[in-house]
Amino acid sequence: MKKTLYCLLFSLCVAGCGESSQEPTDIAASADGLAGVTAEVEAYYAANPDFFSFKTPADLPADLVWENNNHLPEIGSPDAVKGGTQNAALQDFPRTLRTVGPDSNGGFRTYLLDDTGMTMAHVHPETRDLYPGLAESWAIDEAARTVYVKLDPAARFSDGEPVTADDYLFMFWFYRSPYIMAPWYNNFYSTTYTNITRYDDHTISITTRELKPDLDERVLLLRPIPQHFYTDMGDDFSERYQWEFEPTPGAYIIRPEDVRKGRSIALTRNKDWWAKDKKYWRYRFNPDRIQFTVIRDDAKTFEAFKRGDIDQFGLGLAEYWYEKLPDSDPDIQAGYIHKVMYYNQRPRPNFGLWINTAQPLLSDREIRLGINYATNWELVIEKFFRGDNTRMNTGQEGFGDFTHPTITARTFDISKAQAHFAAAGFTERGADGILVNDQGQRLAFTLSTGYESLRDVLTILREEAAKAGLDLRIEVLDGTVGWKKVQEKQHDIFFTAFGVFLELYPRFWEHYHSDNAYDRAFLDDGSVNPERKLKTQTNNLESFAILEMDQLIERYRRSNDRDDMIQLAHRMTELHHEHASFVPGFYQGFFRIGHWRWLRYPEGFSHKHAQGPGETFVHWIDTDMKAETEAARRDGTRFDPFIRVYDQWAE
Amino acid sequence: MFALTPQTRKKLRRFRQIKRGYYSFLILLGLSALLACGELLINSRALVVSYQGELYFPTYGDFHPGTDFGLDYDYETNYRDLQDRFDEADEGNWVLLPLVPYNPYENNAAGGVFRPQPPSAASQHYLGTDTTSRDILARLFYGTRIALLFALGFTLSVYLIGIAIGCAMGYFGGVFDLILQRVIEIWSNVPFLYMVIIIFSVIPSTVAVPTRIGILLLVMVLFSWTGMTYYMRTETYKEKARDYVAAARIIGASNTRIIFRHIMPNVLSTLITFMPFTVVAAISAITALDFLGFGLPVPTPSLGELLKQGTANLRTAPWIVISAFGTLVALLTLVTFIGEAIRESFDPKTFSVYR
Repeated sequence: MKKTLYCLLFSLCVAGCGESSQEPTDIAASADGLAGVTAEVEAYYAANPDFFSFKTPADLPADLVWENNNHLPEIGSPDAVKGGTQNAALQDFPRTLRTVGPDSNGGFRTYLLDDTGMTMAHVHPETRDLYPGLAESWAIDEAARTVYVKLDPAARFSDGEPVTADDYLFMFWFYRSPYIMAPWYNNFYSTTYTNITRYDDHTISITTRELKPDLDERVLLLRPIPQHFYTDMGDDFSERYQWEFEPTPGAYIIRPEDVRKGRSIALTRNKDWWAKDKKYWRYRFNPDRIQFTVIRDDAKTFEAFKRGDIDQFGLGLAEYWYEKLPDSDPDIQAGYIHKVMYYNQRPRPNFGLWINTAQPLLSDREIRLGINYATNWELVIEKFFRGDNTRMNTGQEGFGDFTHPTITARTFDISKAQAHFAAAGFTERGADGILVNDQGQRLAFTLSTGYESLRDVLTILREEAAKAGLDLRIEVLDGTVGWKKVQEKQHDIFFTAFGVFLELYPRFWEHYHSDNAYDRAFLDDGSVNPERKLKTQTNNLESFAILEMDQLIERYRRSNDRDDMIQLAHRMTELHHEHASFVPGFYQGFFRIGHWRWLRYPEGFSHKHAQGPGETFVHWIDTDMKAETEAARRDGTRFDPFIRVYDQWAE
Repeated sequence: MFALTPQTRKKLRRFRQIKRGYYSFLILLGLSALLACGELLINSRALVVSYQGELYFPTYGDFHPGTDFGLDYDYETNYRDLQDRFDEADEGNWVLLPLVPYNPYENNAAGGVFRPQPPSAASQHYLGTDTTSRDILARLFYGTRIALLFALGFTLSVYLIGIAIGCAMGYFGGVFDLILQRVIEIWSNVPFLYMVIIIFSVIPSTVAVPTRIGILLLVMVLFSWTGMTYYMRTETYKEKARDYVAAARIIGASNTRIIFRHIMPNVLSTLITFMPFTVVAAISAITALDFLGFGLPVPTPSLGELLKQGTANLRTAPWIVISAFGTLVALLTLVTFIGEAIRESFDPKTFSVYR
């Protein structure tokens, strides 16, 4: 279930980011669009000479300091053995094998791109430094907001073609193209970067519009798009490439014969992978094959895991960790299945109640304060999550210095809640115990969510809120329907979270800028525009519009000074807290899994910034151990139980 | 028109003779009586509270804040705590709680965490608790009540529409019959489940729970009345050709009068025979919809929701699925037995056997 959650979070985030669908700069949309696109691409480069520059190696600045961070610790274990098949389950068959365009943000993207693909450099899961991927070395020129990169000449796509500078130039054309039907990409790649220069086949430089503390990551985490693969681009892009696997510089490929639509799909290890002996890469991506079978029901997936048909299962939910696979389980006690819990440190998904301040009554701060005091998250955490989860204090948790150090969430307090409700005119209790005001209006709101698996959380909140005289009507929606509802800003209160990437600093513009709440929220003199209209399809779920916040966000976006940004972030968090339009929920400071003993992890493995155990592919399948375990299950041989908690990264 | 004719009396006598069906009917009748006054049996509100010489009857009516009984909170009194408190203080105050002192919504975690608890007489969770520590017996009880009411409403509405349209088709015949038949054929091919999903995705959530249940009922009726029309149509066709209809028409009776006063009583046996099976279909449908997550809104107690929880916790909490499944089987069996008995007793061929 946790996996689903993450998939959902991920798709929510990515889908949600596409708020402003600015048309990319003028791309001559070809009428038939079916002939090769090379000419079109060349014409586009020529039409945008400021963005696409062509120079020679002699033009490189002389004083560049080239680095490659080759001193970082290795990832994975030298004990890892290549080979074997890992069996896993998917809740849903991927809707497409494309990595961009409609339906491409599903959970399977992790295996197509996020965890298996390669970019110029990658973030080290322990130190947060960058280690080289497709880049051999790079140099940063902060004054010019530019990163210079030497691509590894050995780098190859899985079809044998070399990775070159042209694939990066093409990437910009590709992501700005209207054919891919991805407005967020169109916008991001049109506004974040201002130039790419090709010096020779393996040397490029990329310039960003603004200097940000994470300039290096913004450039080095870009991936190449194989130009030789996308030769026929056109309006039919999404159908044409629907089931085509894009050649990857990464370790795993998907063969057409392994795609059994609706039933199963498999990743196959590329035995001639160009990076197989590189530092940071050599001990990873070990199983020869990763077989995904579609099992739609979580309970069934768990049974399949208990049978040994699936090698690993996420035990994030308390009911799995404590009830369904307790330490006393015979398979655990016999050492067949290992139970492991890893603490981690990373930005946390902002689970909580997002209050739509554009709705009547909810626009009243007193009511929102009352709701904050009337939601008993402590009880949810203590009794439902059994104390494993932690209360979030703000909407920006896990960003280190950027997270506000002192603000704490408002705790459940019936008398305070009632005092605030009374201040808003709700003083009397009706026949059913729910507060009413003098117009006879009940204090009732709809609490919606798209998380079927967390409905119990809402029923608990509802029962507790009734004590404070607040009626929360629960509405559990299908994930997509729920998302549509908030995107249309139809909700009263919505329970959700946005997936957060491993980023240096939190984002504010998406959620709190008035541009995302209303069309022209304020008049020129700073007063509220009386005719403003709600803006839909944005991630400002609270319809949050405060002029001061807008100004702070703009300063924050322009700032390139870390300390200044921290100050601004804290001030914005304070403003958000005062506005009381968000009830912070909980976060899970760890992840935990159960796995059969033949699926092995490096001794003592626990990455500080990891989001899940499979993220870096350091595990391997020990086929001998698998045979041994299966024999042992038949004849009753026992091994030492293995139940571990790696808490060195506990906060 | 429904005065007991000798024939009807004979049918009823025959029904009583079929013991299985008759006893099922009595049991269901008793169960319905229990369900009707369920608040007195399974409820977190006390039956009687005697506080400082005054008697309170909190079961029905407005809620009593804790302050009414000298407690320090102004939300609904927790009568179980109140009882403990009164017993401790021993000042002559007392509380009389129902047999099962829980309502179907409250999370009552005996062990400190919300998780399924096995049945226990000591904690008065006679069928255990579900995944968020709600009493299963209470949820089953109220879930069954809603399902039965729903089935009743469903059956009545389907019959009303089905009979009216079916009779009209059979009675008027001709082009009217032909067109309506085609309309029904098209209508009955609209996929019902999709319609439920679509309709529920556009209903604003501000709509109160009872209204939502009403809408669900309406949608189900809209897609279920067609089956009934076929039987009524053929029956009416048959009856229409009889002499008594011709006689009525000559006297000058209106169409409505002929259909409802003359033809209807004669096709009643067909109707009544089908009734229990329609009830069964309604209960199964609402349970299935709940199981799929498209039925009654959360947190309404329902059999389908319990079944779903049960199947997800088959290993760790078998009592959930056993209670829900047991109840469903018992309920459907009772209704089916009644249906068989009715069919047999209303069958004109007295000696045919349906066993």
